[in-house]
Amino acid sequence: MGCLQCKAKRLCPKRENPVKLASQTAFSVSEVEALFELFKIISSSLIDDGLISKEEFRLALFHNNKKKNIFTDRIFDLFDANKKGVIDFADFVRALNVFHPNTSQEDKINFSFRLYDMDGTGFIERQEVKEMLNALLSECEMKLSEEIIEAILDKTFMDADTNQDGKIDMQEWKSFVSRNPSLLRVMTLPYLRDITTTFPSFVFNTEVDEVATLSENTRSG
Amino acid sequence: MQRITIPEILQDEWFKKGYKPPVFEEKDDTNLDDVEAVFKDSEEHHVMEKRKEEEQQPTTMNAFELISMSKGLNLENLFDAEQGFKRETRFTSKCPANEIIHKIEAAAKPLGFDVHKKNYKMRLESSKAGRKGNLNVATEIFQMAPSLHMVELRKAKGDTLEFHKFYKNLSTCLEDVVWKTEEDMKEVK
Repeated sequence: MGCLQCKAKRLCPKRENPVKLASQTAFSVSEVEALFELFKIISSSLIDDGLISKEEFRLALFHNNKKKNIFTDRIFDLFDANKKGVIDFADFVRALNVFHPNTSQEDKINFSFRLYDMDGTGFIERQEVKEMLNALLSECEMKLSEEIIEAILDKTFMDADTNQDGKIDMQEWKSFVSRNPSLLRVMTLPYLRDITTTFPSFVFNTEVDEVATLSENTRSG
Repeated sequence: MQRITIPEILQDEWFKKGYKPPVFEEKDDTNLDDVEAVFKDSEEHHVMEKRKEEEQQPTTMNAFELISMSKGLNLENLFDAEQGFKRETRFTSKCPANEIIHKIEAAAKPLGFDVHKKNYKMRLESSKAGRKGNLNVATEIFQMAPSLHMVELRKAKGDTLEFHKFYKNLSTCLEDVVWKTEEDMKEVK
């Protein structure tokens, strides 16, 4: 990609080739370009640097960047594959790819397990689930007694924790999710199928045409 | 002399000649596997223990079902500015599950919906054709605590705007049943 193009579009970090990203994901080249339109909106909301910060991510989901939410933060961490503290466009596309309707159940199950395993121990512990449940209740301003919360946790672990060791491992999670398919609902975004109609302006900014694709290989970075 | 109405045209012989009613392709990917499963099995012999349990009580929500309601986990909000109306909604109620079912049924029938019930799941089918076929709504009741239930309504088929209007009408009839609506629940201070 030529430097001239980079400067013209104010892309400070190098944007990964949409053709390459499309080949590695369930998205078509046009869809990747449409995603870039969305990415631009989110990444420029607080600081226009071509990257999504944690605050910008919160802002996009909650329309409020001050509100701390453990789920948003966890998803951010999973999007930020190289632990840079920011999400670049390639991260964005690759992570959203998991939510594509055509992506395998296996990938979705793996992602969801890592999502709920907040401290990354490889197990979803009872204490973690309790923390997440409390976070949800406080978000919804719903008060449930300690007894009821424990009852919900008991029932959950009775269902999911088959070896009854107080934590859910990947195998148990896989089995649990296959018995309760609605738990994976959050892992699919049907909107991703319509992305080119939601962000039609990508056609004006498209960098990809036959000539460009050919010369990609001969031009120096 | 009044202008002919659309329903009258649909009945007319001239119109019916060579007419093939449109088939609406359902693009929306609402996962209704669990609801479908219940209605498909209605003739089959019930073998599973779980099924027996469900006949007495609505499904108790597990922690992950609750957790997945968080706004922070629903990435569709990233597309919010561009999107129209939601395809599903939920509210909580302090009424007993059976009462909720009866109230929903009583509210949906006068709105022109046929009601199919099974355990604590319902299907509401509009008898009138809408913009994208007949509106079809799936409802399920979950128990959060002995006196607290979560009611979920999902659009299974049809136009999303019509679903939104249907829900607005339904909720005015359900005022005494609803404890907290989704708006109440998602308000972030």
